[in-house]
Amino acid sequence: MIQLQNIRKSYGSHEVLKGIDLTVNKGDVVVILGPSGSGKTTLLRCVNFLERPSDGQVTISGFTVDCKQPGKQNVLKLRRKTAMVFQHYNLFKHKTALENVMEGLVVAQKLPKEEAKQKSLDVLEKVGLSDKIHHYPSQLSGGQQQRVGIARALALSPEVILFDEPTSALDPELVGEVLAVIKKIAREGVTMIVVTHEMGFAREVANHIVFMDGGVIVEEGPPDEIFSNPKEERTKQFVRRITPEWSYVI
Amino acid sequence: MGKAFDPALIFEFLPKLLAYLPVTLFILVAALFFGLWLALLIALPRLYKVPVLSQLAAIYVSFIRGTPVLIQLFLVFYGLPAFLQLFHLDVSRANPLFFVIATYSLSSAAFFSETIRAAVNSVDRGQIEAAYAAGLTGRQAFVRIVLPQAGMIAFPNFANSVIGFLKDTSLAFSIGVMDMMGRGQTLISATAHALEVYIGLAIIYYLVVIVLEKGFVRAERRLQRHERKWASA
Repeated sequence: MIQLQNIRKSYGSHEVLKGIDLTVNKGDVVVILGPSGSGKTTLLRCVNFLERPSDGQVTISGFTVDCKQPGKQNVLKLRRKTAMVFQHYNLFKHKTALENVMEGLVVAQKLPKEEAKQKSLDVLEKVGLSDKIHHYPSQLSGGQQQRVGIARALALSPEVILFDEPTSALDPELVGEVLAVIKKIAREGVTMIVVTHEMGFAREVANHIVFMDGGVIVEEGPPDEIFSNPKEERTKQFVRRITPEWSYVI
Repeated sequence: MGKAFDPALIFEFLPKLLAYLPVTLFILVAALFFGLWLALLIALPRLYKVPVLSQLAAIYVSFIRGTPVLIQLFLVFYGLPAFLQLFHLDVSRANPLFFVIATYSLSSAAFFSETIRAAVNSVDRGQIEAAYAAGLTGRQAFVRIVLPQAGMIAFPNFANSVIGFLKDTSLAFSIGVMDMMGRGQTLISATAHALEVYIGLAIIYYLVVIVLEKGFVRAERRLQRHERKWASA
Protein backbone atom coordinates (compact mmCIF):
# COMPACT_ATOMS: atom_id res chain seq x y z
CA MET A 1 0.00 0.00 0.00
CA ILE A 2 1.19 3.49 -0.86
CA GLN A 3 0.17 6.40 1.24
CA LEU A 4 0.88 10.06 0.59
CA GLN A 5 0.09 12.38 3.46
CA ASN A 6 -0.06 16.13 3.24
CA ILE A 7 2.47 16.36 0.41
CA ARG A 8 3.54 19.91 -0.24
CA LYS A 9 6.00 21.27 -2.75
CA SER A 10 7.04 24.86 -3.28
CA TYR A 11 9.45 26.45 -5.71
CA GLY A 12 10.37 29.67 -3.96
CA SER A 13 7.11 31.33 -3.04
CA HIS A 14 5.14 29.37 -5.64
CA GLU A 15 3.32 26.43 -4.10
CA VAL A 16 2.85 23.66 -6.66
CA LEU A 17 1.37 21.03 -4.35
CA LYS A 18 -0.84 22.24 -1.55
CA GLY A 19 -1.13 19.30 0.78
CA ILE A 20 -2.01 16.15 -1.14
CA ASP A 21 -3.38 13.02 0.54
CA LEU A 22 -3.63 9.89 -1.55
CA THR A 23 -3.89 6.20 -0.79
CA VAL A 24 -3.13 3.55 -3.39
CA ASN A 25 -3.92 -0.07 -2.58
CA LYS A 26 -2.03 -3.06 -3.83
CA GLY A 27 -3.05 -3.87 -7.41
CA ASP A 28 -4.66 -0.49 -7.95
CA VAL A 29 -4.24 1.37 -11.22
CA VAL A 30 -4.55 5.01 -10.30
CA VAL A 31 -4.66 7.54 -13.11
CA ILE A 32 -3.98 11.17 -12.31
CA LEU A 33 -5.65 13.62 -14.65
CA GLY A 34 -5.59 17.36 -14.78
CA PRO A 35 -4.69 20.36 -16.91
CA SER A 36 -1.02 21.16 -17.40
CA GLY A 37 0.44 22.99 -14.45
CA SER A 38 -1.93 21.24 -12.07
CA GLY A 39 1.00 19.55 -10.30
CA LYS A 40 0.30 15.95 -11.34
CA THR A 41 3.78 15.19 -12.64
CA THR A 42 5.34 16.89 -9.62
CA LEU A 43 3.22 14.74 -7.34
CA LEU A 44 4.34 11.59 -9.14
CA ARG A 45 7.98 12.63 -8.87
CA CYS A 46 7.52 13.26 -5.17
CA VAL A 47 6.66 9.59 -4.63
CA ASN A 48 10.22 8.50 -5.48
CA PHE A 49 11.84 11.75 -4.40
CA LEU A 50 13.01 12.84 -7.84
CA GLU A 51 11.41 15.99 -6.48
CA ARG A 52 11.87 16.41 -2.80
CA PRO A 53 8.56 17.43 -1.22
CA SER A 54 8.77 20.42 1.10
CA ASP A 55 6.51 18.74 3.61
CA GLY A 56 4.49 15.59 4.23
CA GLN A 57 5.07 11.86 4.42
CA VAL A 58 5.47 9.12 1.85
CA THR A 59 4.74 5.56 2.96
CA ILE A 60 5.28 2.51 0.79
CA SER A 61 4.35 -0.89 2.24
CA GLY A 62 4.97 0.15 5.80
CA PHE A 63 8.13 2.17 5.21
CA THR A 64 7.66 5.85 5.90
CA VAL A 65 9.88 8.73 4.85
CA ASP A 66 9.37 12.11 6.40
CA CYS A 67 9.85 14.72 3.69
CA LYS A 68 11.20 17.33 6.09
CA GLN A 69 14.31 15.27 6.83
CA PRO A 70 14.36 12.31 4.47
CA GLY A 71 17.99 11.18 4.75
CA LYS A 72 19.90 9.65 1.84
CA GLN A 73 19.57 6.03 2.94
CA ASN A 74 15.81 6.33 3.46
CA VAL A 75 15.33 7.89 0.05
CA LEU A 76 17.34 5.09 -1.52
CA LYS A 77 15.30 2.47 0.31
CA LEU A 78 12.07 4.14 -0.79
CA ARG A 79 13.24 4.38 -4.40
CA ARG A 80 14.08 0.70 -4.41
CA LYS A 81 10.42 -0.02 -3.71
CA THR A 82 9.41 1.90 -6.81
CA ALA A 83 10.20 2.11 -10.50
CA MET A 84 9.46 4.78 -13.03
CA VAL A 85 8.62 5.06 -16.71
CA PHE A 86 9.51 8.44 -18.16
CA GLN A 87 7.92 10.65 -20.76
CA HIS A 88 11.15 10.75 -22.75
CA TYR A 89 12.01 7.09 -21.99
CA ASN A 90 15.40 8.03 -20.50
CA LEU A 91 16.96 4.76 -21.54
CA PHE A 92 20.67 4.59 -20.77
CA LYS A 93 22.06 5.66 -24.14
CA HIS A 94 25.27 3.68 -23.94
CA LYS A 95 23.60 0.40 -23.03
CA THR A 96 21.64 -2.10 -25.09
CA ALA A 97 18.00 -2.90 -24.37
CA LEU A 98 19.06 -5.92 -22.34
CA GLU A 99 21.72 -3.99 -20.41
CA ASN A 100 19.20 -1.26 -19.67
CA VAL A 101 16.86 -3.76 -18.06
CA MET A 102 19.65 -5.56 -16.22
CA GLU A 103 21.27 -2.43 -14.75
CA GLY A 104 18.98 -1.98 -11.75
CA LEU A 105 18.84 -5.71 -11.06
CA VAL A 106 22.59 -6.15 -11.00
CA VAL A 107 23.68 -2.83 -9.49
CA ALA A 108 20.85 -1.93 -7.11
CA GLN A 109 19.39 -5.33 -6.28
CA LYS A 110 22.70 -7.21 -6.48
CA LEU A 111 21.22 -10.18 -8.32
CA PRO A 112 23.74 -12.59 -9.83
CA LYS A 113 24.32 -11.75 -13.50
CA GLU A 114 22.76 -14.92 -14.89
CA GLU A 115 19.61 -14.54 -12.84
CA ALA A 116 19.33 -10.87 -13.78
CA LYS A 117 19.76 -11.74 -17.42
CA GLN A 118 17.07 -14.41 -17.35
CA LYS A 119 14.67 -12.10 -15.59
CA SER A 120 15.42 -9.33 -18.09
CA LEU A 121 14.87 -11.63 -21.05
CA ASP A 122 11.53 -12.64 -19.56
CA VAL A 123 10.24 -9.09 -19.20
CA LEU A 124 11.59 -8.09 -22.60
CA GLU A 125 9.60 -10.96 -24.04
CA LYS A 126 6.54 -9.75 -22.18
CA VAL A 127 6.80 -6.34 -23.86
CA GLY A 128 7.37 -8.03 -27.22
CA LEU A 129 11.00 -7.12 -27.79
CA SER A 130 12.79 -10.45 -27.70
CA ASP A 131 14.30 -9.71 -31.10
CA LYS A 132 15.72 -6.32 -30.08
CA ILE A 133 17.64 -7.14 -26.91
CA HIS A 134 21.05 -6.22 -28.37
CA HIS A 135 19.87 -2.96 -29.93
CA TYR A 136 20.94 0.38 -28.53
CA PRO A 137 18.21 2.96 -27.80
CA SER A 138 19.20 4.99 -30.88
CA GLN A 139 18.37 1.96 -33.02
CA LEU A 140 14.84 1.63 -31.66
CA SER A 141 11.63 3.49 -32.47
CA GLY A 142 10.02 5.63 -29.80
CA GLY A 143 7.43 2.96 -29.08
CA GLN A 144 10.08 0.28 -28.75
CA GLN A 145 12.18 2.48 -26.48
CA GLN A 146 9.23 3.09 -24.23
CA ARG A 147 8.52 -0.64 -24.09
CA VAL A 148 12.12 -1.18 -22.98
CA GLY A 149 11.47 1.54 -20.39
CA ILE A 150 8.47 -0.41 -19.15
CA ALA A 151 10.46 -3.64 -19.11
CA ARG A 152 13.19 -1.91 -17.12
CA ALA A 153 10.64 -0.83 -14.53
CA LEU A 154 8.81 -4.15 -14.46
CA ALA A 155 12.00 -6.19 -14.03
CA LEU A 156 12.64 -4.55 -10.67
CA SER A 157 9.42 -6.12 -9.29
CA PRO A 158 8.64 -2.84 -7.50
CA GLU A 159 5.73 -2.21 -5.15
CA VAL A 160 4.53 0.41 -7.60
CA ILE A 161 5.41 1.61 -11.09
CA LEU A 162 5.13 5.33 -11.66
CA PHE A 163 4.24 6.32 -15.23
CA ASP A 164 4.99 9.93 -16.14
CA GLU A 165 3.04 10.67 -19.33
CA PRO A 166 4.39 7.52 -20.97
CA THR A 167 2.86 8.19 -24.37
CA SER A 168 2.95 11.94 -24.79
CA ALA A 169 6.31 12.02 -26.59
CA LEU A 170 5.30 9.30 -29.04
CA ASP A 171 4.15 9.51 -32.64
CA PRO A 172 0.39 8.95 -32.65
CA GLU A 173 0.65 5.62 -34.46
CA LEU A 174 3.05 4.28 -31.79
CA VAL A 175 0.84 5.15 -28.82
CA GLY A 176 -1.27 2.02 -29.20
CA GLU A 177 1.55 -0.51 -28.77
CA VAL A 178 2.73 1.17 -25.57
CA LEU A 179 -0.76 1.45 -24.08
CA ALA A 180 -1.39 -2.20 -24.93
CA VAL A 181 1.69 -3.20 -22.93
CA ILE A 182 0.71 -1.05 -19.95
CA LYS A 183 -2.79 -2.51 -20.06
CA LYS A 184 -1.38 -6.02 -20.14
CA ILE A 185 0.74 -5.56 -17.04
CA ALA A 186 -2.08 -3.70 -15.28
CA ARG A 187 -4.23 -6.79 -15.71
CA GLU A 188 -1.50 -8.86 -14.07
CA GLY A 189 -2.05 -6.93 -10.88
CA VAL A 190 0.94 -4.59 -10.94
CA THR A 191 0.25 -1.52 -8.84
CA MET A 192 0.62 1.67 -10.84
CA ILE A 193 0.19 5.39 -10.66
CA VAL A 194 -0.18 6.86 -14.13
CA VAL A 195 -0.09 10.48 -15.22
CA THR A 196 -1.55 10.64 -18.70
CA HIS A 197 -3.69 12.56 -21.14
CA GLU A 198 -5.08 9.39 -22.70
CA MET A 199 -8.69 9.58 -21.55
CA GLY A 200 -9.77 6.39 -23.27
CA PHE A 201 -6.99 4.52 -21.56
CA ALA A 202 -7.78 6.10 -18.20
CA ARG A 203 -11.40 5.11 -18.46
CA GLU A 204 -10.69 1.57 -19.51
CA VAL A 205 -7.73 0.59 -17.33
CA ALA A 206 -7.90 2.71 -14.19
CA ASN A 207 -9.87 1.61 -11.19
CA HIS A 208 -9.36 4.96 -9.54
CA ILE A 209 -9.15 8.41 -11.11
CA VAL A 210 -7.65 11.41 -9.40
CA PHE A 211 -8.44 14.80 -10.86
CA MET A 212 -6.00 17.54 -9.89
CA ASP A 213 -6.03 21.26 -10.49
CA GLY A 214 -4.03 24.07 -8.96
CA GLY A 215 -2.00 21.81 -6.71
CA VAL A 216 -4.92 20.09 -4.99
CA ILE A 217 -6.99 17.00 -5.62
CA VAL A 218 -10.32 18.36 -6.82
CA GLU A 219 -12.10 15.05 -7.04
CA GLU A 220 -11.33 11.35 -7.03
CA GLY A 221 -13.28 8.18 -7.59
CA PRO A 222 -13.95 5.28 -9.95
CA PRO A 223 -13.64 6.15 -13.65
CA ASP A 224 -17.34 5.84 -14.44
CA GLU A 225 -18.21 8.30 -11.74
CA ILE A 226 -15.56 10.83 -12.74
CA PHE A 227 -16.29 10.66 -16.47
CA SER A 228 -20.08 10.26 -16.44
CA ASN A 229 -21.12 11.94 -13.27
CA PRO A 230 -18.51 14.34 -11.92
CA LYS A 231 -19.57 16.31 -8.86
CA GLU A 232 -17.24 19.29 -8.92
CA GLU A 233 -17.78 22.05 -11.46
CA ARG A 234 -14.06 22.11 -12.34
CA THR A 235 -14.07 18.39 -13.11
CA LYS A 236 -17.18 18.77 -15.25
CA GLN A 237 -15.50 21.48 -17.32
CA PHE A 238 -12.38 19.40 -17.79
CA VAL A 239 -14.22 16.20 -18.72
CA ARG A 240 -16.53 18.04 -21.10
CA ARG A 241 -13.65 19.70 -22.88
CA ILE A 242 -11.41 16.72 -23.17
CA THR A 243 -13.56 13.62 -23.57
CA PRO A 244 -14.99 13.95 -27.10
CA GLU A 245 -11.72 14.41 -28.95
CA TRP A 246 -9.86 11.75 -27.00
CA SER A 247 -12.40 8.99 -26.63
CA TYR A 248 -11.07 6.44 -29.05
CA VAL A 249 -10.96 2.75 -28.34
CA ILE A 250 -7.63 1.10 -27.84
CA MET B 1 74.93 31.25 -39.01
CA GLY B 2 74.76 27.58 -39.90
CA LYS B 3 76.55 25.81 -42.69
CA ALA B 4 75.19 25.26 -46.21
CA PHE B 5 71.95 23.26 -46.35
CA ASP B 6 72.57 19.56 -46.87
CA PRO B 7 69.38 17.47 -47.30
CA ALA B 8 71.27 14.20 -46.85
CA LEU B 9 71.94 15.19 -43.25
CA ILE B 10 68.21 15.05 -42.48
CA PHE B 11 68.27 11.31 -43.02
CA GLU B 12 71.41 10.98 -40.99
CA PHE B 13 69.81 12.87 -38.10
CA LEU B 14 66.44 11.10 -38.19
CA PRO B 15 67.52 7.87 -36.44
CA LYS B 16 69.51 9.84 -33.85
CA LEU B 17 66.43 11.91 -33.03
CA LEU B 18 64.10 8.93 -33.17
CA ALA B 19 66.14 7.23 -30.46
CA TYR B 20 64.70 9.85 -28.08
CA LEU B 21 61.08 9.50 -29.19
CA PRO B 22 60.42 7.14 -26.25
CA VAL B 23 61.40 9.90 -23.82
CA THR B 24 58.95 12.30 -25.46
CA LEU B 25 56.21 9.67 -25.42
CA PHE B 26 56.99 8.80 -21.81
CA ILE B 27 56.55 12.42 -20.77
CA LEU B 28 53.28 12.57 -22.66
CA VAL B 29 51.84 9.34 -21.26
CA ALA B 30 52.91 10.01 -17.69
CA ALA B 31 51.56 13.56 -17.80
CA LEU B 32 48.27 12.35 -19.27
CA PHE B 33 47.93 9.66 -16.62
CA PHE B 34 48.48 11.98 -13.67
CA GLY B 35 46.77 14.86 -15.41
CA LEU B 36 43.53 12.96 -15.91
CA TRP B 37 43.25 11.90 -12.28
CA LEU B 38 44.08 15.37 -11.13
CA ALA B 39 41.55 16.76 -13.62
CA LEU B 40 38.81 14.62 -12.09
CA LEU B 41 39.77 15.90 -8.64
CA ILE B 42 39.61 19.48 -9.88
CA ALA B 43 36.37 18.97 -11.79
CA LEU B 44 34.45 17.27 -8.95
CA PRO B 45 34.21 20.21 -6.54
CA ARG B 46 33.14 22.43 -9.40
CA LEU B 47 30.51 19.94 -10.56
CA TYR B 48 29.11 19.53 -7.08
CA LYS B 49 29.59 23.23 -6.31
CA VAL B 50 31.56 22.55 -3.15
CA PRO B 51 32.16 25.92 -1.49
CA VAL B 52 35.78 27.19 -1.25
CA LEU B 53 37.19 24.16 -3.11
CA SER B 54 35.26 25.02 -6.24
CA GLN B 55 36.51 28.63 -6.15
CA LEU B 56 40.07 27.43 -5.64
CA ALA B 57 39.70 25.05 -8.57
CA ALA B 58 38.36 27.86 -10.74
CA ILE B 59 41.30 30.11 -9.87
CA TYR B 60 43.74 27.30 -10.59
CA VAL B 61 42.22 26.58 -13.99
CA SER B 62 42.14 30.25 -14.86
CA PHE B 63 45.80 30.69 -13.89
CA ILE B 64 47.00 27.71 -15.92
CA ARG B 65 45.00 28.77 -18.93
CA GLY B 66 46.30 32.30 -18.64
CA THR B 67 50.03 31.55 -18.50
CA PRO B 68 52.36 30.04 -21.12
CA VAL B 69 53.41 26.47 -20.44
CA LEU B 70 57.08 27.48 -20.81
CA ILE B 71 56.73 29.79 -17.82
CA GLN B 72 54.86 27.11 -15.87
CA LEU B 73 57.79 24.83 -16.57
CA PHE B 74 60.23 27.28 -15.00
CA LEU B 75 57.87 28.05 -12.14
CA VAL B 76 57.76 24.36 -11.25
CA PHE B 77 61.46 23.84 -11.89
CA TYR B 78 62.51 26.65 -9.56
CA GLY B 79 59.41 26.88 -7.41
CA LEU B 80 58.82 23.25 -6.43
CA PRO B 81 62.27 22.74 -4.80
CA ALA B 82 61.85 26.04 -2.93
CA PHE B 83 58.40 24.97 -1.78
CA LEU B 84 59.50 21.49 -0.71
CA GLN B 85 62.45 23.03 1.10
CA LEU B 86 59.90 24.33 3.59
CA PHE B 87 59.24 20.70 4.50
CA HIS B 88 62.98 19.93 4.49
CA LEU B 89 62.76 17.93 1.31
CA ASP B 90 65.61 18.50 -1.09
CA VAL B 91 64.62 17.85 -4.69
CA SER B 92 66.95 20.34 -6.33
CA ARG B 93 69.06 17.50 -7.68
CA ALA B 94 66.16 15.40 -8.89
CA ASN B 95 65.96 14.31 -12.49
CA PRO B 96 64.57 17.22 -14.56
CA LEU B 97 62.20 14.69 -16.13
CA PHE B 98 60.35 14.72 -12.81
CA PHE B 99 59.74 18.47 -13.06
CA VAL B 100 58.62 18.17 -16.65
CA ILE B 101 56.09 15.47 -15.86
CA ALA B 102 54.89 17.45 -12.84
CA THR B 103 54.39 20.56 -14.96
CA TYR B 104 52.59 18.86 -17.78
CA SER B 105 50.38 16.95 -15.34
CA LEU B 106 49.43 20.16 -13.55
CA SER B 107 48.89 21.94 -16.82
CA SER B 108 46.92 19.25 -18.63
CA ALA B 109 44.80 18.70 -15.52
CA ALA B 110 43.46 22.23 -15.78
CA PHE B 111 42.46 21.80 -19.41
CA PHE B 112 41.03 18.32 -18.93
CA SER B 113 39.04 19.39 -15.90
CA GLU B 114 37.23 21.92 -18.05
CA THR B 115 36.58 19.27 -20.68
CA ILE B 116 35.28 16.86 -18.06
CA ARG B 117 33.11 19.50 -16.45
CA ALA B 118 31.51 20.51 -19.71
CA ALA B 119 30.96 16.89 -20.72
CA VAL B 120 29.42 15.83 -17.41
CA ASN B 121 27.13 18.84 -17.46
CA SER B 122 26.00 18.00 -20.95
CA VAL B 123 24.85 14.50 -20.01
CA ASP B 124 21.05 14.55 -20.11
CA ARG B 125 19.54 15.05 -16.65
CA GLY B 126 17.02 12.33 -17.50
CA GLN B 127 19.81 9.74 -17.52
CA ILE B 128 20.58 10.45 -13.89
CA GLU B 129 16.92 10.43 -12.94
CA ALA B 130 16.48 7.07 -14.61
CA ALA B 131 19.44 5.73 -12.66
CA TYR B 132 18.02 7.03 -9.37
CA ALA B 133 14.59 5.66 -10.22
CA ALA B 134 16.16 2.24 -10.80
CA GLY B 135 17.59 2.37 -7.28
CA LEU B 136 21.20 3.32 -8.02
CA THR B 137 23.07 5.40 -5.45
CA GLY B 138 24.50 8.78 -6.40
CA ARG B 139 27.96 7.31 -6.81
CA GLN B 140 26.73 4.35 -8.87
CA ALA B 141 24.78 6.69 -11.13
CA PHE B 142 27.84 8.90 -11.59
CA VAL B 143 30.31 6.09 -12.26
CA ARG B 144 28.10 3.76 -14.31
CA ILE B 145 25.85 6.13 -16.21
CA VAL B 146 27.21 9.68 -16.25
CA LEU B 147 30.97 9.12 -16.59
CA PRO B 148 30.84 6.74 -19.57
CA GLN B 149 28.54 9.08 -21.44
CA ALA B 150 30.60 12.11 -20.48
CA GLY B 151 33.71 10.27 -21.67
CA MET B 152 32.19 9.81 -25.09
CA ILE B 153 31.19 13.45 -25.28
CA ALA B 154 34.62 14.59 -24.12
CA PHE B 155 36.66 12.27 -26.29
CA PRO B 156 37.13 14.39 -29.44
CA ASN B 157 38.10 17.36 -27.29
CA PHE B 158 40.42 15.16 -25.25
CA ALA B 159 42.08 13.83 -28.41
CA ASN B 160 42.76 17.36 -29.61
CA SER B 161 44.34 18.26 -26.28
CA VAL B 162 46.60 15.20 -26.35
CA ILE B 163 47.98 16.27 -29.71
CA GLY B 164 48.54 19.75 -28.36
CA PHE B 165 50.37 18.39 -25.31
CA LEU B 166 52.59 16.17 -27.42
CA LYS B 167 53.85 19.26 -29.19
CA ASP B 168 54.15 21.19 -25.91
CA THR B 169 56.54 18.56 -24.57
CA SER B 170 59.08 19.95 -27.04
CA LEU B 171 59.68 22.69 -24.48
CA ALA B 172 61.00 20.23 -21.91
CA PHE B 173 64.56 20.62 -23.20
CA SER B 174 64.60 24.15 -21.84
CA ILE B 175 65.08 22.80 -18.31
CA GLY B 176 67.61 20.28 -19.52
CA VAL B 177 65.62 17.16 -20.33
CA MET B 178 67.11 15.03 -23.06
CA ASP B 179 64.05 14.31 -25.17
CA MET B 180 63.86 14.49 -28.96
CA MET B 181 64.08 18.26 -28.90
CA GLY B 182 66.98 18.16 -26.42
CA ARG B 183 68.81 15.71 -28.64
CA GLY B 184 68.17 18.05 -31.55
CA GLN B 185 69.80 20.90 -29.66
CA THR B 186 72.95 18.84 -29.05
CA LEU B 187 73.07 17.88 -32.73
CA ILE B 188 72.85 21.54 -33.68
CA SER B 189 75.69 22.46 -31.32
CA ALA B 190 77.79 19.63 -32.67
CA THR B 191 77.19 20.12 -36.40
CA ALA B 192 75.76 23.66 -36.81
CA HIS B 193 73.16 22.24 -39.20
CA ALA B 194 70.11 23.67 -37.48
CA LEU B 195 67.69 23.60 -40.41
CA GLU B 196 68.26 19.90 -41.09
CA VAL B 197 67.67 19.07 -37.43
CA TYR B 198 64.44 21.05 -37.30
CA ILE B 199 63.20 19.50 -40.52
CA GLY B 200 63.94 16.09 -39.05
CA LEU B 201 62.07 16.99 -35.85
CA ALA B 202 59.12 18.36 -37.81
CA ILE B 203 58.88 15.11 -39.76
CA ILE B 204 58.89 12.99 -36.62
CA TYR B 205 56.36 15.11 -34.69
CA TYR B 206 54.11 15.23 -37.68
CA LEU B 207 54.22 11.47 -38.22
CA VAL B 208 53.49 10.79 -34.55
CA VAL B 209 50.52 13.17 -34.68
CA ILE B 210 49.18 11.42 -37.77
CA VAL B 211 49.41 8.05 -36.05
CA LEU B 212 47.68 9.45 -32.96
CA GLU B 213 44.93 10.99 -35.06
CA LYS B 214 44.28 7.71 -36.84
CA GLY B 215 44.12 5.91 -33.51
CA PHE B 216 41.73 8.48 -32.07
CA VAL B 217 39.38 8.22 -35.03
CA ARG B 218 39.20 4.47 -34.53
CA ALA B 219 38.71 4.75 -30.80
CA GLU B 220 36.00 7.34 -31.30
CA ARG B 221 34.14 5.14 -33.71
CA ARG B 222 34.28 2.29 -31.25
CA LEU B 223 33.18 4.46 -28.31
CA GLN B 224 30.24 5.82 -30.21
CA ARG B 225 29.01 2.55 -31.59
CA HIS B 226 25.76 3.05 -29.70
CA GLU B 227 25.06 6.13 -31.81
CA ARG B 228 25.08 4.15 -35.02
CA LYS B 229 21.67 3.66 -36.49
CA TRP B 230 22.10 0.04 -37.49
CA ALA B 231 23.04 -2.79 -35.23
CA SER B 232 25.85 -4.92 -36.49
CA ALA B 233 24.57 -8.44 -36.94
